[in-house]
Amino acid sequence: MPLNRELIGKEYGEVSFPVDRDRVTRFARAIGETDPIYLDPEAARAAGYAEQVAPPTFPTVLQITTSGQAVVDPELGLDYSRVVHGEQRYDWRRPIVVGDVLTTTPRIADIFAKRSNEFLVIESEVADADGETVVVARSTLISRGTGR
Amino acid sequence: MRLFEDVSVGDEIPVRSKVVKREDVKAYADTSGDQNPLHQDDDFARVVGFPGIIAHGMFTMAHLTSAISAWAGGPSALLGIAVQFRAVVFMDEAIEAGGTIADIDPHTRRATLNVWVRVHREGVTEYPIKSSSAKVQLA
Repeated sequence: MPLNRELIGKEYGEVSFPVDRDRVTRFARAIGETDPIYLDPEAARAAGYAEQVAPPTFPTVLQITTSGQAVVDPELGLDYSRVVHGEQRYDWRRPIVVGDVLTTTPRIADIFAKRSNEFLVIESEVADADGETVVVARSTLISRGTGR
Repeated sequence: MRLFEDVSVGDEIPVRSKVVKREDVKAYADTSGDQNPLHQDDDFARVVGFPGIIAHGMFTMAHLTSAISAWAGGPSALLGIAVQFRAVVFMDEAIEAGGTIADIDPHTRRATLNVWVRVHREGVTEYPIKSSSAKVQLA
């Protein structure tokens, strides 16, 4: 079933996310990071960072809430059992560190079809407490067609 | 950061390899919040047609980003990345991340890399991430 094109440009509720040390440490360990700037605040400061650094793909922890809102939007008509993560893009402005409070308002940037698949593009511009953009995340979810 | 003078088009960044362990994928599910059973429940994965659970695409992307960041001299040097997920990764497979310098802008001192992640499976090389790129700031 095609996704509802009228939702292109739709914004969802603002997501606020305080970056805490435990989450950053567990994330860094799970991905196998060994650089101490991701694990130890002293090492991060010695390397010139304000605090323990979150790995560059850490913004994915927001995506469950950002993309999640669109995925379950009944107006969109998405069958989540058919969805795969097709593409992911990050444009970084500065590293995220422990203590940052991030906010973002996710929006549907595009919906289009390729062959029998439907593509849903969700963009989240993530800002810090001063309102400065930290990273722009763009996820493309693919809803696999039935092949007809 | 890596010096502009030390980088040429065609250079390859060091390949970074690691074996994907079930406990790491479980830890990734818990910390990322992505609890899709495809990454945790072998029976569920088999119903969908896989021999067992698969790693999150973002787990594989994180490994690639580590490889690029280590080469570039840290996360401050990373400007952007755009990846395409093209194949799945199973448990206990070795994922290898790498890339080639495709372009260097002498004015901004920015390098564009073609980047990938590959696995060797039953005599065939598969690319869980390919046709992807990253942008790095050189010093």
